[in-house]
Amino acid sequence: MTDVELAIKNGDQKLKAAIATIQETFSYEDTAYHLPISYALTGIPVHDRTTSLDVFSRTKDNPLVASECILAKKTAQEGREASPYTGFIADTIIRKLGYSLVDGSILGLALIVGSPRSAGTAAAICRELQEKYMLTFLAGPVVPSLSSAGVKLGLDYRLIPLGSDALHGVHFVDIIARVAMMFGGVTPGDMHRLLSYAAERAKAIVIVFPGLNNEEIALVDGMRVLGFPILTLGDYSGGAWIQATPEDIVRTGMELKGIRVNVTAIPIPMGCSPAFEGKSIRKEEMYAEFGGGRSPAFELLRMKSPGEIKDGQVTVIGPEIDSMAEGSANPLGIIIEVTGKTMKKDYEPVLERRIHNFVNYGEGSWHVAQRDLIWVRLSKEAVAKGVKIEHIGKLLASKFRMDFPQLLDAVSVTLITDKEKVIAAKKEAELIYDERDARIKGMRDGDVNTYYSCTLCQTFAPNHVCVITPERPALCGAISWLDGKIAFEMSPAGANQPIEKGSVINAQNGEFEGVNRFVKKASHGEVDRCSLYSVMEYPMTCCGCFECIALMLPEVNGIMVVNREFKGLTPSGMSFSTLAGTIGGGAQTPGFAGISKGYILSDRFLQGEGGIERLVWMPAQLKEELKPRLVKILTDQGRPDLFEKIADETKAATIEDLMVYLESVKHPALTMKPLV
Amino acid sequence: MVYDVNFGWSGMISEVILGATKADGGTRRISYRIGGGKTLPFLERKPGSSVPLIAFEICDNPQYWSPIVRNFCGDLVNDCGEWAQAADSVYKADMVRLYLTSTRQRDFSDIASVGKTVETVLSGTSLPLIIEGSNEPKIDSEVFLKCGEAGQGERLLLGTAEAGRYRSIAAAAMAYNHSVIAQSPIDVNLAKQLNILLKEIGVSRDRIIIDPYTGSLGYGFEYSYSAMERIRFSALKGDADLSMPLICSATDTLTVKEVREASPAIQDDIAVQWEFTTGIAAAVAGSEIICVRHPRTIPLLRKAFGSLNTEDSGKGE
Repeated sequence: MTDVELAIKNGDQKLKAAIATIQETFSYEDTAYHLPISYALTGIPVHDRTTSLDVFSRTKDNPLVASECILAKKTAQEGREASPYTGFIADTIIRKLGYSLVDGSILGLALIVGSPRSAGTAAAICRELQEKYMLTFLAGPVVPSLSSAGVKLGLDYRLIPLGSDALHGVHFVDIIARVAMMFGGVTPGDMHRLLSYAAERAKAIVIVFPGLNNEEIALVDGMRVLGFPILTLGDYSGGAWIQATPEDIVRTGMELKGIRVNVTAIPIPMGCSPAFEGKSIRKEEMYAEFGGGRSPAFELLRMKSPGEIKDGQVTVIGPEIDSMAEGSANPLGIIIEVTGKTMKKDYEPVLERRIHNFVNYGEGSWHVAQRDLIWVRLSKEAVAKGVKIEHIGKLLASKFRMDFPQLLDAVSVTLITDKEKVIAAKKEAELIYDERDARIKGMRDGDVNTYYSCTLCQTFAPNHVCVITPERPALCGAISWLDGKIAFEMSPAGANQPIEKGSVINAQNGEFEGVNRFVKKASHGEVDRCSLYSVMEYPMTCCGCFECIALMLPEVNGIMVVNREFKGLTPSGMSFSTLAGTIGGGAQTPGFAGISKGYILSDRFLQGEGGIERLVWMPAQLKEELKPRLVKILTDQGRPDLFEKIADETKAATIEDLMVYLESVKHPALTMKPLV
Repeated sequence: MVYDVNFGWSGMISEVILGATKADGGTRRISYRIGGGKTLPFLERKPGSSVPLIAFEICDNPQYWSPIVRNFCGDLVNDCGEWAQAADSVYKADMVRLYLTSTRQRDFSDIASVGKTVETVLSGTSLPLIIEGSNEPKIDSEVFLKCGEAGQGERLLLGTAEAGRYRSIAAAAMAYNHSVIAQSPIDVNLAKQLNILLKEIGVSRDRIIIDPYTGSLGYGFEYSYSAMERIRFSALKGDADLSMPLICSATDTLTVKEVREASPAIQDDIAVQWEFTTGIAAAVAGSEIICVRHPRTIPLLRKAFGSLNTEDSGKGE
């Protein structure tokens, strides 16, 4: 057993002494990058004693730099090692290697150094690396050991013998340094960029067999700064090296570095591509539907602990599509369970929202809305091709793994079509939705300077921009300010971007200079101004996913709200779906706004129009749903009677009835400042 | 009356350099810097508003080419080096676009020949080149590697990346310092998505040219026009992921019914008119490169561009 810490200490000293003895000049042929590690780190071409020592001290006595200089000097003195050893590899070959990495025909790089106790073990590890599309470099006695076990070496076999001792392992790093300069846009001397490239983009792991001397241990340990995991089979102790068994060493290394054998084709009998995302399935084309107010349905994504779920498992509880009648509405529960080392509970709602996109990717599956409001359809054409409920699960399991390879290690999907079970599971899901909503409760718009955007729906509504504030969730109700913040952390180039709200233009309407600037850009110049709290002046654009629509009723000087679940006509003379068709698609329509249910409960609701006193009508079901929370809010504001003054379809179905009703209860909206 | 031809737009089309001269490490006699526009084409006459480039398309296996062009060009079609030379010195194109149609043969495996063909065309003309690689995902990796390698230093334009298959072509461009054509099926959102995918893999914005997919006049060109319009408007309004120059190649024009079934005496005329009319419309929509297959279309396009608000001074480096 070798103590790594102690060895590094000694090794660093020996390297320092060795680099100090360099007198001669040296250089590699066939490269434009001099000594690539030194050049990438400092921008200095090293060819002699002075430059070696200069770079060594600039890099704070870095063992990689020392080893690189020492090996270059040694190679110049003693000549290149004989075949099969490659020694320093020319730029033209590195270019091809880089090509294969970008191209995806190589998934990652591995370095194996040292002297394996058993040739068979080393051979098995190499075979596994080959099977997993890794390109493996070898340095030291592992090379003859593999040859003795009959393992074929060379580029064609993705096993490249660099040299006869572990010092040649430094070539592994010079290769990565050159790939970073050739492909990663790293300019020589930009040390910070190089390190972040190596850590984030270079998919490299190191496996260490026994027998390394102190300098070699210092060299290998020096690679940790590049973010490469150093794995051993228990021959070394201490330090930050990772212990593994021969069976799991490759898998562990690849997992640590996030190298995955990609899911490239989803095994389902329908196409799956963003190209199908915008296509809806009309009633005549539909085989079966789920939710949408016609049957109970919900979706939920939950995090589990590692090992609790089996990756790729899809379970259908209840009847399959073949026992559902054509044109029928059926219950559906979509439960996705995920695990992942970097996964956080906070990410759940953000990932859950992706179910919407993924189901729409299917050629013949369609999805709108969210949570317990979802509405899913399968087309006749897809069902005729053999698509089953199970395949939606497979699509979801594969797409989550494909799109979040860094975040998720395992994804399993349960689809429930049994009515009783859907209803029971939906109750549980609703508790989780409430918990999520509670987490953001209490935060005020004034408490933060940064809001978040959501442009997820631009595939449908190319100029739509949601602005998400603590008190105004995305109009779909599925993404809160916190979710926007987390989504931005997870994917900094994604659909949720931070918006500095900037100076106030109109406090009452919630118009901010920074928000306007962002919205103008994100709407491709279509929308110049956006009031966060007004329905009448520059309201936010609407995609089509809104939970509710707020619209003015000039006849009664008030504003009504209708939710997606309400199927009847509203006092405006239009149904929800007619209204939705009128205001969606990314347009800004003064007098109309798409909103979430949560926003109705906020103090900012209708602030531009004078607040909640403007609210004259809501469907009874929505009123009932909001009642406990809304009554409390109104009581706190000292007007508990307002709740009963808000009409619903049982009290007033038409605008005439509404006028009569509002007069009879003396609704405050009637005496407010005229809306128009 | 004076109009504001910028309409308050803030975006600019990114500039892409095609071809490398000796000074830049290549062997081309000219290189082009395309893009840079801040408004729609032909609206204003001022130095720097460049004329669209005309690329002449050739191939290395004429079996897959229009018989109209085969008849017109004669024996040239059997030697892509000489054909490229004619495109340059006789037909007076600005660029040559080589389609490696040989790779379309069933079970094609002679990858080495790809490199030789590219070299032949490079020595046949000193104009900047566009190279169209394989049409078959299975051989993409090897074919694009060869194309990239054979044209190293020449700053080629490589085609064609699509959403499902862009990695090899991106890799070839990054490894050997070329640019790529990113094609999407007449859809502004897919065009944007592909550009983002290319960006994520590491291809920089000044290395991408958008091919919106060009239908032939009378056979869907209006859809292409509309997609191009939306792409260009988005770019000018500041969407950096759509701000690349456009390339159009209405390859279907020579196979539409009216051209195919025209009487032999006027078939060339009809073909040229069809190609010309589609090409000029694509240029008006904003395309920076117009590709044609009939040699006689080139002077017509050039004359038309000259009569619009353009300055020849913007071309060439």
